Amino acid sequence: MPEARRNQAPALELKEVFYSSGDYLILDDIRVLFPAGQCSVILGQAGSGKSSLLKAAAGLVIPQRGQILVAGQRLLNFNFRQEQDFRASSGFVFQDSALWQDTTILNNVAMPLRVHNPKLDQKTVYNTVSAILRKVGYSEDMMLRPADLSTGEQKLVSIARAIVHEPALLLMDDPVSALDEDAADHISSILEELKKKGTTIVIATNNSELAYRHADNLGVIKNGRILAFGCYDDVLGKVEFALSGSMARLLARGKRSGCADHLPDIDNPEIMESPQAGQRSTT
Amino acid sequence: MLETIGRAVRTRIQSLLYALGFFFNVLKETTRFFRRKQVAFKVLILQILFTGYEALTINAIMAVSIGAALIVIGSSLLPQFGQSQLMYSILIIVITSELGPLLTAFVITARSGTAIATQLGSMVVNHEIEAYIAVGLNPISYLVVPRFIGVVVSMLVLTVYFNLFGLLGSFIVVQVIRPMALSEYLGGLLATLKVSDLISGLTKAFIFGVIVSVVSTYQGFSVNRSSTEIPVAGIRAVGQSFMLIIIADVIVTLIQYA
Repeated sequence: MPEARRNQAPALELKEVFYSSGDYLILDDIRVLFPAGQCSVILGQAGSGKSSLLKAAAGLVIPQRGQILVAGQRLLNFNFRQEQDFRASSGFVFQDSALWQDTTILNNVAMPLRVHNPKLDQKTVYNTVSAILRKVGYSEDMMLRPADLSTGEQKLVSIARAIVHEPALLLMDDPVSALDEDAADHISSILEELKKKGTTIVIATNNSELAYRHADNLGVIKNGRILAFGCYDDVLGKVEFALSGSMARLLARGKRSGCADHLPDIDNPEIMESPQAGQRSTT
Repeated sequence: MLETIGRAVRTRIQSLLYALGFFFNVLKETTRFFRRKQVAFKVLILQILFTGYEALTINAIMAVSIGAALIVIGSSLLPQFGQSQLMYSILIIVITSELGPLLTAFVITARSGTAIATQLGSMVVNHEIEAYIAVGLNPISYLVVPRFIGVVVSMLVLTVYFNLFGLLGSFIVVQVIRPMALSEYLGGLLATLKVSDLISGLTKAFIFGVIVSVVSTYQGFSVNRSSTEIPVAGIRAVGQSFMLIIIADVIVTLIQYA
């Protein structure tokens, strides 16, 4: 991975995060560190709290308690400039695409560029959007509106919007849901490319194939609690966490090539709370 | 029983404080709107076109109709009591100070207030608001402030148009029914017209614009998850706007005549 890019990519940490909606506890004492420049996959069944965890990590929902740290700094205390910098260096793929219905595909994908690079001329914006849409496999007219597209196409546009400004941190909520196998393979190759560039990627999914192909780190969430998080093979070794169908399928495929030394140690939960944890993972 | 009442009161107070916080946040972001590099100017232009320009026809028809009716009624009844000169006073007070801003506000609430509340409500349900935050756009400054400024500007402009159509356009209509010399009509109007009447009308227009835009955007954002909440938000936006507009109208009128 290019060292320069790796240094830019921030580690993302959730510390003792509690989030509830009404009387319903959605996130229950979440403590997890997503190391910089690596791909972390959170597996969990529907309703386990994956999406909320990802939204809390991105500051899209405000937890009642706890901290979200981006490169060691508290996200919820960011001033306007810091927040803009964070948004300029991060991308988010929503589970249900969340495209802006009142405007074209071109404007949807161009928005991050226009917000963070207002001096870019229209032609550059057009060309960049056109290139990224081709890259994710979108082949329809850019002047269509989201309602004119299938769910799968909307998902591709949503992914294009999240990566068009080349973020150093990418959060993806079920990125291959609604995609056919070819399209999912296409997105997988893009993820591979982003990993090589040193992008910090966090994926919430129940797709075992995605975890198997891309996860440097694996987490399991159930009922709003992180049951395990750490190096892919180590988490698979903890058979007591094989609670979901996805995990069972992963176990059936067996381990991969072992853990790198620098990855967080899941046998020592304190490592995730330690201020040194992020440094270990980025060295 | 006491616990239920206490909980209801606490919820009401929390809602009121939240609404006040929302209002002050809108004011704060409005002061920053023209200083920041914004991609929201297009939203502002579209809002002015929808709220101001597209409502011009219905506003003009209302103004001309009401103005003509007042002239016809006034010129028929008032001479019987020897009070012909009062027609101009009634016309100016009713058109510029009362019905102009009030009816314009009702039209804007019915057209734009419901549209704003339901549109924002739909965006909340579809997670489009979260998508704006994710790309670095503050929903208050990108979605609310352009609508706030757009509705207030449109309200002021439409009120001026209502005055023009109500006072001058109606004269043309009246010529068909009861011919009257233009010089006589204009002379009577200008002799009676006071700056305070115009200021009062425009003050009301400004306040009504603030009420409609803030209430509608607030109700739009109050939608949580379900699409069935969207029409309810629209209904609440209209009901609360009408109620606050009438209360504000009474307060401004009391201040003017106190």
